[in-house]
Amino acid sequence: MTEYVFAPRERPSVPVAGTDRRFPVRRVYCVGRNYAEHAREMGGDPAREPPFFFSKPADALVAGGGEAPFPPATNDVHHEVELVVALGKGGADIAVDQALAHVYGYAVGIDLTRRDLQAAAKKAGRPWETAKGFDASAPIGAIAPASRVGHPAKAAIRLKVNGAVRQSSDISRMIWSVAETLSHLSGLFRLEAGDLVFTGTPEGVGPVRRGDALEAGVEGIGEVKLRIV
Amino acid sequence: MSDYLFPPSPPASVAVAGSTQRFPVRRIYCAGQNYVAHALEMGGDPSKQELFFFDKPADAVVADGARLPMPPATDHLSPEIELAVAIGEGGSGSAIAKETALAHVFGYAAAFDLTRRDMQARLKKMGVAYDLAKAFDRSCPVGAIRPAAEIGHPRKGRIWLAVNGEVRQDSNIDDLIYDVPTIIAGLSAMVELKPGDLILTGTPAGVSRVVKGDRVEGGIEGVGTVTITVL
Repeated sequence: MTEYVFAPRERPSVPVAGTDRRFPVRRVYCVGRNYAEHAREMGGDPAREPPFFFSKPADALVAGGGEAPFPPATNDVHHEVELVVALGKGGADIAVDQALAHVYGYAVGIDLTRRDLQAAAKKAGRPWETAKGFDASAPIGAIAPASRVGHPAKAAIRLKVNGAVRQSSDISRMIWSVAETLSHLSGLFRLEAGDLVFTGTPEGVGPVRRGDALEAGVEGIGEVKLRIV
Repeated sequence: MSDYLFPPSPPASVAVAGSTQRFPVRRIYCAGQNYVAHALEMGGDPSKQELFFFDKPADAVVADGARLPMPPATDHLSPEIELAVAIGEGGSGSAIAKETALAHVFGYAAAFDLTRRDMQARLKKMGVAYDLAKAFDRSCPVGAIRPAAEIGHPRKGRIWLAVNGEVRQDSNIDDLIYDVPTIIAGLSAMVELKPGDLILTGTPAGVSRVVKGDRVEGGIEGVGTVTITVL
């Protein structure tokens, strides 16, 4: 038994719909610019730019939604609703046609972004972590097991702020499918059970303010509700 | 105690010199371009240099002496020697001032920030996140942590890296643009620090490419050393 100089923190975990058991999280990967219209609204060219990845700390999750504080060091926090893939099995160099066999289930997540810090980082050619990987930057709803919901390729994805629809698209409009994303990512990292992959956001991203109530959902998968405090 | 679907992997941890107890790692932060000559060699302008950070996954830590396979998706692996600060007491925002920052430090270690330099150049050119270049698996070899209770808070000391015995990086930690208290205070304004966080403080000039078979050794005078072999 390993002894530590102080007690390690409890592993971050996400509730699983229909059970008391929780999904223990290892890493949180995010795909950048995976919907053409969002790539364009961010100033990119979806035809020419391959998707890329960034990460958030596992304990940046706000599991089950609830409340997230407006973060420090920013005046411009944006919401990005995303389909999240939860891996139940690991692997490296996974073939596209084998990828979905590694999926435990799916959830709805919000990639909160300090847009002003991201813009400054892009301009300076600097890393994005302070823009993307801050505390409480990854609200996520309960995971729906694939054994129950299957592997959706087409489903409405939307986000409302204070009841007004701000993002509305369909996951079938992803540039890279879930299977393609997992296959590609597994060539760069060894994926493990417990990894979450945020698969990118559609167009309509926008600012949130203290007091805002966010409701995000993917049809047939679930939802997550969040209040910015 | 949570009931998990499957057992979580054990927490990542680093050896503590002179102890059987280990330091459990929560997050790994890295300060970028924090030595003047390295900022210049990376194309930066040190006179305008702002403190900035990137992350590595906690379980990217690798023990001293490890034999590491060449990571995938790169032809240019570059080890960067850095002074690592191990946080023993958390805090955030105004709770951590420069003057009191060192009270949050558990100890110090020598560490490598392994970098896929070719991928970093490509991602920088795209103007996008460069986690793929910095945060890959086994990208953070860390030597044993020396408790501050034993060695104090070093402000001076040679920092060096040698490949197969040939010295390639050779500087002094008193050349840091932003010193350890400034880094801790600056980072805590962006995120809440917690016990178990490691902060790599940047690398001096002389970064270079390593290839299969290379033995890479680095150290910080008064703190310790770290060694890896690339397979």
